[in-house]
Amino acid sequence: MKEYLSNGRLWRLCLKELRESLRDRRTIITLVLMPILVYPLLSMALQRLIVGGISKAEPESAFVVGTQDEVTAQRIQDLLSEANRINKTGIRSPIKITRSDEPTKSTVPSEDNTNAIAVSADHVGFSIAIVEKVSLSSALRNAQIDLAISKVDVESIALERETTSSYQVQVEFRQGDLRSESAMSEFRRAMQLLNDNQFETVRQRLNARLPAVVQMKANGLGQRMDPAASIAGVIPLVLILMTITGAVYPAIDLTAGERERGTMEALIATPAPRFALLLSKYVAVVVVAILTALANLFATWITLSFGGLGQAIFGKQGFSLWILIQILPLLAIFAAFFSAILLALCSFARSFKEAQAYLIPVMLLSLGPGLVTLMPNVQFTTLLGIVPLINILLLSRDIMTGHSELLPAFAAVFSTIIYAGATLVIASRLFGAEAATSGSQETWAELLGRPKTTRSLPTMGELAIYLAILFPVFFITSNVGGMLELGTEAAMSFNAVLLVILFMCLPSAYAWYRRLNFPTTFRFKSISNPLDSKGMQVARSIGFFVSVLLLSSGLWMVAFETYLLFENWSLASQLTEEQRTKLRDTFLLIPFWLVLLTGAVVPAVAEEFFFRGFALSAFRSKLAPFRSVLCTSLLFGLFHVIGGNILSLEKLLPTIILGLALGLVAIKTNSLWPGILLHALHNGLVFGMSRIGETELTKWFGADTKHLPMLWLVGGGLSIMAGITLLLIASRQTRTYENIA
Amino acid sequence: MISATNLTKQFNVRGTPLIAVNNLSFNVSDGEVYGLLGPNGAGKTTTLRMVMGLLEPDSGHVEMCGMRSDGQTTEMRKHIGLISTNDGVYPWLTVREMLMYFADLYAVDLQQAGERLEELARLLDIGRFLDQRCSTLSTGQKQRVTLARGLMHDPPVMLLDEPTRGLDVVGSQTVFRFIDLLKERGKSVLLSTHRLDEAERVCDRFGLLHRGNLQFEGTLEELQKQTGKQHLVDIFIGLLSGHAESESVDAPQIAIPSNK
Repeated sequence: MKEYLSNGRLWRLCLKELRESLRDRRTIITLVLMPILVYPLLSMALQRLIVGGISKAEPESAFVVGTQDEVTAQRIQDLLSEANRINKTGIRSPIKITRSDEPTKSTVPSEDNTNAIAVSADHVGFSIAIVEKVSLSSALRNAQIDLAISKVDVESIALERETTSSYQVQVEFRQGDLRSESAMSEFRRAMQLLNDNQFETVRQRLNARLPAVVQMKANGLGQRMDPAASIAGVIPLVLILMTITGAVYPAIDLTAGERERGTMEALIATPAPRFALLLSKYVAVVVVAILTALANLFATWITLSFGGLGQAIFGKQGFSLWILIQILPLLAIFAAFFSAILLALCSFARSFKEAQAYLIPVMLLSLGPGLVTLMPNVQFTTLLGIVPLINILLLSRDIMTGHSELLPAFAAVFSTIIYAGATLVIASRLFGAEAATSGSQETWAELLGRPKTTRSLPTMGELAIYLAILFPVFFITSNVGGMLELGTEAAMSFNAVLLVILFMCLPSAYAWYRRLNFPTTFRFKSISNPLDSKGMQVARSIGFFVSVLLLSSGLWMVAFETYLLFENWSLASQLTEEQRTKLRDTFLLIPFWLVLLTGAVVPAVAEEFFFRGFALSAFRSKLAPFRSVLCTSLLFGLFHVIGGNILSLEKLLPTIILGLALGLVAIKTNSLWPGILLHALHNGLVFGMSRIGETELTKWFGADTKHLPMLWLVGGGLSIMAGITLLLIASRQTRTYENIA
Repeated sequence: MISATNLTKQFNVRGTPLIAVNNLSFNVSDGEVYGLLGPNGAGKTTTLRMVMGLLEPDSGHVEMCGMRSDGQTTEMRKHIGLISTNDGVYPWLTVREMLMYFADLYAVDLQQAGERLEELARLLDIGRFLDQRCSTLSTGQKQRVTLARGLMHDPPVMLLDEPTRGLDVVGSQTVFRFIDLLKERGKSVLLSTHRLDEAERVCDRFGLLHRGNLQFEGTLEELQKQTGKQHLVDIFIGLLSGHAESESVDAPQIAIPSNK
C-alpha cells in the first residue's frame, strides 16, 4: 500500500479517474446544464408555493388598485373606507386617489404609505390609481397595478324605512403572481366584511336574541412555525438531490464502466491494492459531486438573489453569501458519504444497466426521508442527528433559517463522516470482486463471515465498520440516558454499564467472532519482557509504574485548566449557574466509592479496552506508531465530546492530550494494564478535586479559587515531562519486542 | 519460469460442488510458450487466475521468480503481464495516459516508464497516436495498445488468455508476432486457448485440459507419438470422445485421474 501512497502515485491515480470523468460529455451535462435548467423552473414553482404564506409577513407597500375613471375610483374608495370602519382598526387617513398617465410599478409605493387605507391590521392597505393612456388589463399584465377594477355598478334598493345600495364589482388579477394574488385575497376579505356587517345588522334588527348560526372561537395549539422553514427545507433537498445526480454518472462509469469497457480484469491483475484503486475513484466521484454541488449552490444563490425569492423566504437579508459558505461544507460531507454508497452499489453491479437498476431504488428511497424534512413541524432534534441524509437536510434548513444547534450539528457531521468511511471500506471489498473470484458470495463471506484462521490484529476497515455501528448506538443510548432524567447516581451507573457493553462486551464479541487473537488485539500482555533478566524485569516494571504515577499527577491539571480556559471563552456546556450549583450539590451527596467506580475504574478499563486495545491495534495494522496514537486520541477525544444529551466541547482538548499520553504508554509498554492504571488515576484525581468544596480550595490556593496555583502547574508540567522521560528509558529495549510478539 | 504444483480449485454451483481444476501441475521455462488447451469450461481461466493470485487455490501452489503464491501474491503480480480476450481501453484517455496509468499501477518508476513507453511505441508501432484519445482508435490500433499495456512493467511472466478470440487474420498476425517478441526476450508465456490451429503454430509445449484435469502434456511430436494422430484437432477430438464414454458411467464432475 505504501508504494501507492507515496511519490504522488495516488495523486496520479486520482488524476486519471478525474480526467476520465470530466472529459466525458455526460458528466458535464449534469454539471452545467442541469443547474441552468432546474433553478428557474424551481423558482417559478416556489413563487406559487409562497403565495399567501410568506408574503404577508413583511408587506412593503400598499396594493395598487387600478381603475379607468373617477366615478369607479370614488366608489372603490367608499367601499374600502366602509370596510375599514367596520374593521375597527380605524382609518389612518382618507384614501387618496392618484391620477397617473403612466402608472409606476406597483411594487414601488406610488404615494406616501400613510395615505393608504389599511383594511386589516396586518396590512399596509390599498391605494387607488386611475390608469390613463394604457388599457387596464395591460397595466395589470405589466404589473403596474395589482388589481384591475373595470367597473363598479351600484343599484339602489328601497326597503321599508330606508334605501340601501348594492354594488357589483368586476375585478381582475394576475393568476400565479405572488403579489397580485395576495391583493386579491385581501380585497376579497374587505368586501366580505361589508357583507357580513350588513347581515349582522339585519339579524339584530329582526330579533336581538337570535344568535348567529355559528359562533366560533378558534385557538391554535402549539407554537407557530415559521412558514419559511418548510420552504427553506426545499432548497437543501433540491441541492442534495442535484449533488447525488452529479455523482451518479461518474460512480457508475468508474466502477461498472470498467467492467463494461473490459478494463476491469487488467486492473485487478495489477499489484495495486484494491483500496488504493477504489480510493482514487472515490476521490474523483467526490470531486465531481462537490463541483456539482458548487454549481448548484451558485445557481441557487443567483436565482434567490435576483428573483426576489430569497427575500420572500429568508426575510430582508435574503440568501446571503454567508449561508452559502456554511452550506457548501455540509454538501461536501454529504457528497463524501453518498459517493461511498454509490461506489459500493456500483461495485456490486456487473454492468451499467445493473448499476442503474440498483441506484434508482436508492434514489427514490432517499427522496422519502427527504420529503419528511419538508414538513414544517419537523424539528432537528438530537437523535435525528445520526440519521443519514435527514441530518444534513435538517441542518442545512436550520442554518438557512438561522437557528442551528450545536449538538445535533456535531452528531450530523461526525456520524456522516464515520458512515462514509465504513461504506468506503465495504465498497473496496466489493470492487473488482466479480473479476477476481467466481461469485460475490465469497466477498460477503470475507466481510461478514467467520474467518477460518486466527489473525493477530484487526484491520482499519474492520474498525471503520465497527465505528459506524458503535457511534449511532453510543449516541442514542447516551442521549436516552440523558433524557430519562435519572438521578445522578443512577445516571452515572447507567453510563458505566453502557461503557462496559459498548466498549468491552461488543468488541470482545466481535473479536471472538472474527477470530482475532485477544492478547495481540487488546494488548493483554505482561509488561515484563521474557527476554529480560529477572532483575531487569523488576526494574522495568518499577520504571513503568513510577512514570504512570508521574503522568497522572500532571495530566489531571491539564484537564482541570483547559476546562477553565474553555469556560472563560464560554465554550463550555451550556449550563446555567443555577444548574451547575445544583449538579454540584447532588454530586457531593453521592458516596465517593461510587464516583470512583463509575467515573474512574469502569471508564478506565472499558475505554482502554476499546481505544488502546482494539482501535490502536487496528491503526497499527497499517500506520506507523505515532500516527496510530494520534488517530486513536482524536477518536478518543471526539467520543468524549458527547456526554448525555449535551455537547461538551471543553472536553475535546484535554481528552486528546490524555489520549496521546495513554497511546504512548500503550505503545511503549506494549500492554494495556499501565494505561488502565493511568486512566483510572487521572479520572480519580479530577473527580477528587471537584469534590473538594470551593471554600477549601480558597483556603489552599488563596483568593483566586478558580485556577490552580502556579507552583502546582509548574510541578504538574515537570511531572509529565519526567513521566515521559522515564517511560522512554524504561521501555528502551522493548522497542523490538512488539515485533517479536 | 512458472511452476504450478498440484493446483486444485472447487466451486459451489447451486449447492453442488464442482471441481474446476483438479490436481494440476505444469512448468513453463524462460523463453518457452506453453499452451493450455481445452474446450470451454475446461478450467483454463480458473488456472490462469490462480497463477495470477486472483483466486486462492484450495490446495497446491504456484511458484515464479523465487516467490510462492501462498503469501506473496501481491509481490508476484508485479512480475506477471496479462493480456485477455475482452481487454478494453479507456475511451477518454490518450494512449500515453493509459499506458502511464498502468505503469503506475505496477509501481514502475516514472522515468523508467517513460523510456519503456518509447520503446514499446517503436516495437508495436503505436507512436503515431500516442497522444490521441483511445476512443478515436481503430480496432487494430486498440489491440496494439492493449498488447503494449501488458508489457509496460516488463514482466518476466506473460499470461495470454485467448488473445486472438474475435480477431481477424491481421489482428491474429499481430498477436503471433507479439508472442515471437516475448519469446525472443526470454519471457515465460502461458497461453490459454481453444483454437488448436493457432496453438500448433505458436506453442512449444501443450497441456490438454479437460474438465479440470490435465489429460496430456508434451511437445507436438510427443503428443503425436502418444496418440498416433497427426494434428492437435484430431488428438483433441479423440480425447473428448474417449471421455464421453466414461461420462456415461461416472458422475459428470468426477475427475479422471491425471495422465501424469
